[in-house]
Amino acid sequence: MTPEPIRHPRRFEPLLWGAALGLMVLGGLFVASATLSPNPWNPPPWYRLGHVRQALWYLLGLGLAVLVCLRDYRALSRWAMLAYWGSIGLLVAVLIPGIGSTQGWGARRWIDLGPLQFQPSELAKLTLIFALASFLSRPRPELATPAAFGKVLGLCALPFSLILLEPDLGSAVVIFPVGLAMLYVAGAPARYLWRTIGAGALVAAVLVVDVLWAPASWQVLQLEPYQKRRLMVYFGKDFVPPGATGAERARALQQYRDAAHNVEQALIAVGSGGLTGKGWRQGTQNALGYLPRAVAHNDFIFSVIAEESGFVGSVLVLALYAAILFSGIRIASQARDRLGRLLAVGVVALFFTHAFINIGMNIRLMPVTGIPLPLLSYGGTSVVCSLLALGLLQNIQLYRATP
Amino acid sequence: MLQVDPLRPRDPRLRVLTAGLALGLAVLLAGLWYVQVVRARHYQAKVRQQTYRVIREPAVRGKIFDRAGRVLAENRPAYQLNLYIEELRPRFRETYWHLRAEFIAEKLRTNPPTAAGDGFWTRLLPTSTTRPPRVRLSRADIQSLNLATRYHVISNLLARLGEVLGSPMTLTEERLRRHYHLWPYRPLTLLENLSPLQGARFLEQAPTLPGVALEVRPLRHYPHGSRAAHVLGYLSRDDQATGSDTEFFHYSLPTYEGALGIEAGYNTLLAGRPGLRHVVVDSLSYREEETLWEPAEAGHNVVLTLDLDLQQAAWQALQSLGPDVRGAVVVLDVTNGDILALVSAPAYDPNEFLGGIAESDWRERLNHPRLRPMLNRATQGAYPPGSIFKLVTGLACLEAGLDPGALFTVQPDPANPARGAIFVGRRKIRDTAPPGEYDFRRALLRSSNAYFIHHGLEAGRERLLGMGKRFFLGERIGLPLRQEVRGFFPYPREVRWQWSEGNLANACIGQEITVTPLQMAVLTAAIANDGQVFWPRLVQRVEPPETLPGDHGLSFPPRVRGTLGVPAEHLQALREAMLADTLDPEGTGFAAFHERDRRTPRLKRFQVAGKTGTAEVEEHGRTVDYITWFTAFGPYAQPRYAVVAMVESGRSGGGTCAPVVRQVFEFLEQREPPVAAPALADHRPAP
Repeated sequence: MTPEPIRHPRRFEPLLWGAALGLMVLGGLFVASATLSPNPWNPPPWYRLGHVRQALWYLLGLGLAVLVCLRDYRALSRWAMLAYWGSIGLLVAVLIPGIGSTQGWGARRWIDLGPLQFQPSELAKLTLIFALASFLSRPRPELATPAAFGKVLGLCALPFSLILLEPDLGSAVVIFPVGLAMLYVAGAPARYLWRTIGAGALVAAVLVVDVLWAPASWQVLQLEPYQKRRLMVYFGKDFVPPGATGAERARALQQYRDAAHNVEQALIAVGSGGLTGKGWRQGTQNALGYLPRAVAHNDFIFSVIAEESGFVGSVLVLALYAAILFSGIRIASQARDRLGRLLAVGVVALFFTHAFINIGMNIRLMPVTGIPLPLLSYGGTSVVCSLLALGLLQNIQLYRATP
Repeated sequence: MLQVDPLRPRDPRLRVLTAGLALGLAVLLAGLWYVQVVRARHYQAKVRQQTYRVIREPAVRGKIFDRAGRVLAENRPAYQLNLYIEELRPRFRETYWHLRAEFIAEKLRTNPPTAAGDGFWTRLLPTSTTRPPRVRLSRADIQSLNLATRYHVISNLLARLGEVLGSPMTLTEERLRRHYHLWPYRPLTLLENLSPLQGARFLEQAPTLPGVALEVRPLRHYPHGSRAAHVLGYLSRDDQATGSDTEFFHYSLPTYEGALGIEAGYNTLLAGRPGLRHVVVDSLSYREEETLWEPAEAGHNVVLTLDLDLQQAAWQALQSLGPDVRGAVVVLDVTNGDILALVSAPAYDPNEFLGGIAESDWRERLNHPRLRPMLNRATQGAYPPGSIFKLVTGLACLEAGLDPGALFTVQPDPANPARGAIFVGRRKIRDTAPPGEYDFRRALLRSSNAYFIHHGLEAGRERLLGMGKRFFLGERIGLPLRQEVRGFFPYPREVRWQWSEGNLANACIGQEITVTPLQMAVLTAAIANDGQVFWPRLVQRVEPPETLPGDHGLSFPPRVRGTLGVPAEHLQALREAMLADTLDPEGTGFAAFHERDRRTPRLKRFQVAGKTGTAEVEEHGRTVDYITWFTAFGPYAQPRYAVVAMVESGRSGGGTCAPVVRQVFEFLEQREPPVAAPALADHRPAP
């Protein structure tokens, strides 16, 4: 197969990469602001500074994106199932103590590679997109069978349940909209989709009711206490058990305040930014430690951006994401084949879901989950995987046939 | 930028997906608009609320001066050591990890981990055990570790500080916990009122003691101690002031409020306006930075009418009776009602109250049931006036038409023929004066009970009590001291049915009614100045502090409360009789105003007119105590000063109180330059 990229009028996507570059600049700037040293008399060495590390990750991700573009995505897709099973293997490995690391938190999400940590769930999302795309690119009538549909669901369910075991509910949940979007665009029968959505919603509702309101012995899904608290905070349910004594009530209220603290402070940070923000590095929520330092530069980077650059900055971030998303859609619509289109749709759905859940969480539209904001949040795996995904989009555009 | 149009014919599903994305982004945009633009003020207020703490700082209190500008109350620098806890945070961090490691080691020793799964994998993968286990502590453990850390670091620092200062210092964990809980953004006061030596020792070692600062605050000081204590009052310290409803602050530095005396009566003016300081705190409530929001405005200065030298002289005169004397001396300017001296003994030292009074001190000394040093006897003590009330009785009798020259024969007491007596109904009232012929002058200077009861009963209740009311007896005198009683002196109509002739007879000689020494001074002044009753004036003016150039303060001119409306010859007759009390060898006040040879007057230039009194305090029909009085004015020719002395449990008015008054006049005479020798009225009877 010899594509003819040279004659192709649109081999490079300036809008896509311009937006990505904009996000990376913002990411570097605000990671620097969020990791502002609490003790200026004792700054950490330069190589441990957040924004320096973040910039290194950007460079690595960009390098990998270029590598991805070297081969036609169809050639790459031959390895799709292998990559899928490989990442499933990693997801299993991360659950094993000694290989998987908790990083001092409650969940085993990381694989320790000496000085670096690697989060296999981020990679698994990408490989899942690859696997789904190659599976769904078969002719449409084949997809209309329940067996095929079931296989797709199985492909999704396997990483989903493994990620849930870590536990990382947020990352697991992301898989569903991605899978659904790809199924939908692939032309799966609408009734199957509706049934899947209906069943998923029903299960989710039952689980939420079960977790929040059912007595302890009835609870099927044993969530971690912090997950349960986050859900309760999101649904505005207080922690006071029925028939609690005064002391228990006070303790439960304290727990509620602790659990609601991040959400509350993120919201105050975003809201207090106002129209134009307080200025770069002038945000008080982060500098004074109200927004916990442990999360300000990764999961809650958006609230730092929104506080310091205001509504203007928030709109800029949304616009940059919109540019990436709609470029992706256009790439999908112009793709050479179904495989390319599905890959592009998967990447777009992944970006959108991440951005929507993360930004929504900052303004209390979504419950708190540890989902990174693509290209903005501090974190190597997330940055590299996001840039890989963008590289994939570029690849599809690069190797499309002349119309 | 969106090339959606080409999609339309080709792929409706992609178009739906695009619409979904647009919708999602629109939802986010709307949410952000709501939070960041519509509700921005709400969240900005929340930021302020959680990051700002307002601290109230009291202003420098105004000074109190006497009439000549001598200081009665001022402020002195007091040094204190404050600990700025946030500067210890690097040390906290170090110590925290030490303590945490110890805590975990202890925990693992007493309670080794028993998780089965971990054990299996650990055995399977022995390489992973080279790292120390990551332990997650519970929130309660972290909190108690944090507190232990702070206590550990601060205790060590205090031990060092104690070595430097040469006196051990301690801080209870409870106090630290409380400080942390309530005001972690405030410096912790370690030691107040450092001595200069301690200050010097600290400054020498200060660089090795991080976070500790020597700071200075104004502290009230009363240079004359207890001399004017009852006029000045005292301050009470309030460490948890909440302020008025209109004020808002999170914490107030120790505030001093006037509790009594001028300090209380002029508290608002003296205190000035406190300043407000805003402190930005971080999420742990540590201080990050602070700004002075509103500077404090110093308080106004109060200038009293008091004459410090005279006050001291009056104090000395009263103290000449002994250390535990219970009494009062009031000196009034008869021309305008200025209070020149107001002494009550025993007195407290207002300096003592600044640091707070120990419970035992209060119980055993300040609240002593008999000495009662907190009582201002000059204004708060209501005592029966005894014979000094005969001044009022005399005026009432003269008004009723008594001829001062007419003679009245006092009958001898059947039980004691050397003394006189009078029978009111069936009750005998004894007299200290001998039986014989008495005119008005002799009756007053011998203080004959029989004469005044006889004529007083003739004058009647209306006249007697009416005359007293013209001096505003039984009424408030309106000093801004928060320590005043009105005494008991009824209107005639109030006792129309209650008072028998016997009661009236008692009233004629100053029993049954009560007055305060200050009321008696006002009364004496009115007799001396031809019938003008003044409001006694204690505060001359209120001066603004130097920082307020536009403010001219307040001044209080003398005020006349009423005039007696008594014919001048009545007052003259009374004054002459009072003068005779100190000049006539028979007079009850004679001995005190003359040398032992009973001829040479002790006062060379002043002639003093006075009246003695010895009132009986009865309980259950028995005399349990005597209140002795001497009230006088002088110099006789041109009256300037009215002086009243009252002593509880004295021997007699002439023996106990008259010498006190004489000493006050001796001081006045010696101070007064001998300008023109006043014409001495010769009231000596021919030898």
